[in-house]
Amino acid sequence: MPLIEVIDVSKEYANGEETIRPLDGVSLSIEEGDYVSLMGASGSGKSTLLNLIAGIDQATAGKIIVAGTDITRLSRGKLADWRAANIGYVFQTHNLIPVLTAYENVELPLLLLPMSASERRKRVAIAMEAVDLTSRAKHYPRQMSGGQEQRVGIARAIVSNPTVVVADEPTGSLDDETTEQILQLLSRVNEELDMTLLMVTHDADAGERARRRIRLERGRLMENGKELQTAKLHTA
Amino acid sequence: MLKFIPYVFKSLWRHRARTLLTVSGTAVALLVFCFIGAVQQGMLALTSGDDAGRTLIVFQENRFCPQSSRLPQDYESTIAKLPGVQEVVPVKVFTNNCRASLDAIVFQGLPPEKLKAWRDIDLQSGNWSAFSDQDDAALVGIDVATRRGLSVGDKFTIGDVSVVVQGVFKSPSAAENNLIFTQLEFLQRARGANDVGTVTMLEVHLNDTADPEALAKQIDQAFHAGPVGTTTRTKGMFQADTLADLAELIGFVHWLGYACVGLVLSLVATTTVMSVQDRIKEHAVLQTLGLRPLRVFGLVLTESLLLSTIGGILGVAGSVLLLSSTGMSIAAEGVTIAFEPSLPLAMQGVVVSVVVGLLAGLAPGWHASRTEIVSALRHA
Ligand SMILES: Nc1ncnc2c1ncn2[C@@H]1O[C@H](COP(=O)(O)OP(=O)(O)OP(=O)(O)O)[C@@H](O)[C@H]1O
Ligand SMILES: [Mg+2]
Repeated sequence: MPLIEVIDVSKEYANGEETIRPLDGVSLSIEEGDYVSLMGASGSGKSTLLNLIAGIDQATAGKIIVAGTDITRLSRGKLADWRAANIGYVFQTHNLIPVLTAYENVELPLLLLPMSASERRKRVAIAMEAVDLTSRAKHYPRQMSGGQEQRVGIARAIVSNPTVVVADEPTGSLDDETTEQILQLLSRVNEELDMTLLMVTHDADAGERARRRIRLERGRLMENGKELQTAKLHTA
Repeated sequence: MLKFIPYVFKSLWRHRARTLLTVSGTAVALLVFCFIGAVQQGMLALTSGDDAGRTLIVFQENRFCPQSSRLPQDYESTIAKLPGVQEVVPVKVFTNNCRASLDAIVFQGLPPEKLKAWRDIDLQSGNWSAFSDQDDAALVGIDVATRRGLSVGDKFTIGDVSVVVQGVFKSPSAAENNLIFTQLEFLQRARGANDVGTVTMLEVHLNDTADPEALAKQIDQAFHAGPVGTTTRTKGMFQADTLADLAELIGFVHWLGYACVGLVLSLVATTTVMSVQDRIKEHAVLQTLGLRPLRVFGLVLTESLLLSTIGGILGVAGSVLLLSSTGMSIAAEGVTIAFEPSLPLAMQGVVVSVVVGLLAGLAPGWHASRTEIVSALRHA
């Protein structure tokens, strides 16, 4: 059974008279440990799909099942708990909390989980080590470069050992060299830490890094030139 | 949730100028609030004290300023014979200022033995025998002593009255701490032969069974045809009547107390709204990480609670310090209202600031917790 199942999901926005439908009954299955890139024109609905899978947006229709949980049926509060335990989110602009140090930013998701202080320390140390920023633990976001901030952002996303790591254009605001660094880091997250990774990107080179490459075109999901269909076998 | 307290403090500290302004504004408003409360409390203590209903004050009819009330001293023995009367204490009052004043000095002359028997005063320095042996001796209330810098041995003159301080006393009744006691005869002679044989008022202490109202009527009846008519009221009524003008003012000032609370509410709410607007995106990030909407609400509420409570505690502490160090009072026509700090008042101040803090955080907290994550993340 796949880790993530998106089944006939639609998303509509009412914009006055007209309705925008960036997702029109899309379906997608992602296996555990996979690395999937999602590309497509600007405004095609990539972020929308990613946010639905991350549980921060609500689908107009359809089901999203992650590790056996239908997240479209969870209440706001339950969904928040679910995110804390299952989702690591890497933003385009890192979105670190400015009043907290790198260490505290990485620790933040763990504060939401039942965990002892010593366990927290251990996990933060491992995550900081993984992004090679142990020496910057006491620095505030404003004291770091864009690339370092994004690495802290990745450490924050992986620290709770989530079911899925999602990244929405994680290299969108970085230069080439730093982009390369971040992409390598994300590959390691997938290969060495065995985390399932879904990355939205504009950058074709970045998209090539993933094992599966999916495109969103006019509300439909395409892989290797064919439209993805509802995986009836899995949902039966 | 406690794990997020450091984050709340850091967020407040990040905008320290705004935070300090809000806290200090709250502190000032609560200082005023407590001050107003103390004035009201002082007023209430005068009109509802223990002896306010069980002691009668006999004054000359239609007179208000103590200088103008002159009762023959021999009324004392007439009244003492009435059934229900335990004792009559003749009192001569002298004040340097009959109008409402923040620094009126009020002298009360009483026979020393009756002073000792009927006033609950505790000498902090000096002694009784020096007071009763010396003609122009005075016992000074602790608040007057503090205000005027008086201590035992000092000579002290107001108008044509000159006394030597032979003791400084403290009384559980705050108003009394603003009085100066002398011997009755001294005050009678101090202002010319005119006053000898007259007193300003007679204090009638009743026994437990007497009916104050009936007795007051009886006394006024007895002197109705006499050389000087009297008006007899309970002590509480007497003080309330004397302070009627001030009471009206104080009743009005009371509204200013509510205004202070309103001020704190809008101040703290404004700051909290600003802080929520500054952090729409930050709250969305926290929710993405898995913070429940209810907890976002809690964070905002905690923030406004801290602002208001810290300010409140500072303001209450300031008012306690101010009131206890200055021993302020206001007097009119020889009756003094003392402004005193008190534990219930301080607690009331703190409770008000806590409640206001919670109220101020409700709307912004609700707003922050209801914001849609995705649209808030797009927020610049
Ligand atoms: N709150 C909203 N109200 C109305 N329309 C919206 C809203 N949010 C998104 N849309 C529309 O939905 C479509 C998909 O948006 P989405 O952000 O998913 O695109 P995207 O593929 O991520 O684009 P980009 O590459 O520019 O980030 C766009 O046409 C957008 O205008
Ligand atoms: Mg996007």
